[in-house]
Amino acid sequence: MIKDNFIPQIPYGVKDFLTGEAARKRALESGAAGLFARWGYQEVVTPTFEYLETFDSSTLSEQAFKFFNREGRALILRPDMTCPIARLVSTRMKDADRPQRLFYIANVFRYEQAQAGRQCEFYQAGVELLGSSCAAADAEIVALAVETLKNAGLDNFKVSIGHVDFLNGVVESACLAPRDETRLRGLLAGRDLAGLQACAAELAFAPALRECLREALFLHGGKEVLDKAYRLAGNQTSARALDNLKSIFTMLESYGAAAAIDFDLGLIRDFGYYTGMVFEGYTPGLGFPICGGGRYDNMMRFFGEDCPAIGFSAGVDRLLIALSRRNAAAVLDPGAYIAWREGFFAQAAAAASELRSKGRRAELAFCAQSADEAFKSARGRELIYI
Amino acid sequence: MIKDEIKLDTITIALPKGKLFAPSRDLLKKAGCGAQGLSEDSRKLVIKNEEAGLSFVITKPVDLPTYVEYGAADIGVIGKDVLLEEQKDVYELLDLGFGKCRLMLAVPENLRRDKLTDYANLRVATKYPRVAAEFFHGVGIQAEIINLNGSIELAPMVGLSEMIVDIVETGRTLRENKLAEIAAIHTATARLIANRASFKLKSERIHSILDAIRRQLHSD
Repeated sequence: MIKDNFIPQIPYGVKDFLTGEAARKRALESGAAGLFARWGYQEVVTPTFEYLETFDSSTLSEQAFKFFNREGRALILRPDMTCPIARLVSTRMKDADRPQRLFYIANVFRYEQAQAGRQCEFYQAGVELLGSSCAAADAEIVALAVETLKNAGLDNFKVSIGHVDFLNGVVESACLAPRDETRLRGLLAGRDLAGLQACAAELAFAPALRECLREALFLHGGKEVLDKAYRLAGNQTSARALDNLKSIFTMLESYGAAAAIDFDLGLIRDFGYYTGMVFEGYTPGLGFPICGGGRYDNMMRFFGEDCPAIGFSAGVDRLLIALSRRNAAAVLDPGAYIAWREGFFAQAAAAASELRSKGRRAELAFCAQSADEAFKSARGRELIYI
Repeated sequence: MIKDEIKLDTITIALPKGKLFAPSRDLLKKAGCGAQGLSEDSRKLVIKNEEAGLSFVITKPVDLPTYVEYGAADIGVIGKDVLLEEQKDVYELLDLGFGKCRLMLAVPENLRRDKLTDYANLRVATKYPRVAAEFFHGVGIQAEIINLNGSIELAPMVGLSEMIVDIVETGRTLRENKLAEIAAIHTATARLIANRASFKLKSERIHSILDAIRRQLHSD
């Protein structure tokens, strides 16, 4: 029985994809899947929900949807795909060859304020490369990220690469009490430059360190910022991070991807699990990163295996928004409408099969139609009248 | 190819209506970012300075961080109090120093008690529910938070709440309404904020505007 005034709604933070949107989403995801496969990545599918413990190493579990199963065990709707893949590789694929190149296209769930292209449920296309700590692995991931954006039809974007150890080195060189260090890291993570300056003044940092903290988040641009960064941060950890970025960048030049890349030594990713190179992609008109990733060499240890790893994901919803804003979204084939006169159903069905076998879209009329009726029913599609 | 296209973009600056508007506009103008007819009661919603590649939008203060977070504006000026409450994901580039005020907890003078913990389980009216909740959580007291949009001082006078968390500049309004400040929560000044993507894609221009503002602040 239908209640009066009953308007079925969907919960906060989820959305329906209507026909056109769903088609564009499918095209984008298939394009990405094809690209990942050509780079040697194999698809894996993991469960939508897992035991809560799987995400214990990730700060994301705070934002996740959690519930209990009938035995009273805590479950979690996956807030990202990196943890499930790390679990998968360290258990079911324990004896598989290393390095492993894996990709996924999946919906993930986070309870957060809905943003542009970021509902509580959103879609990611990404890869994980497990078992290599070489700079060439880093370069491969960044080059593949650039290729993913291009492949999707995006022509105006920038991918910035940075390294967590650059700022780690700066913070360590300050030799702070744990409490002050936490405060400093909080300000860096919050991208609060005004707060950083106040903190530097309050804790009476040495002038060199103050200058470094003032400039760090602005170390952004071409190769020349590396030289500036070497000068600013006179510590070993930071210098090693810069060396690493330099060799990654040289390889990216060989990939022909360097034009889309710049350095951003103040780049801070939202999750704490990164241990090396990190990167984010941006496109004009979208105020949020469109893709991002980096190296997370310690996460696999949580699952009992010491295995370096790196990966990235692109936001499918955000890519769709960016593409629709520059009208680069795939144009869909309107297809053909096949109408038939009394007694010609068999021929019409054959014509439809033929078109479909050629990869065209064909819709067949349900009953015999006059030419006039057929024309009306075609509604802009190519009309084939038999 | 990619870089050139981005460089040509204009910079959109969001300014808040209200007391921060005039000092923000004047500071930006001195730093070389002005526009004809840039006034708070302008009928135009977007004010442009085509030559300088600038565009201004004037918004309600609470909405301003949202404009910047979404990239509808590249940079903006807003009070730290609003940033603390709204918790948007933006770069906070510079403390501009003006618009100084403080977020505090106040009670009617006749309700004053000895210790902060004596105020547990009371009702508190505020425009800053998140800041208030964090404060009470931090000092370990429970309080019922009543979210209002203005005239917060009225709430204790008519028995809607026992306490208020609000922003004060001089404290005059408090005294006039026989309210006593019992705890300082935060001090706040105007901040220059930037969108995450704009900060990367338009970094050169944002950096040069930032430098010009810094020079201006030092020369004042």
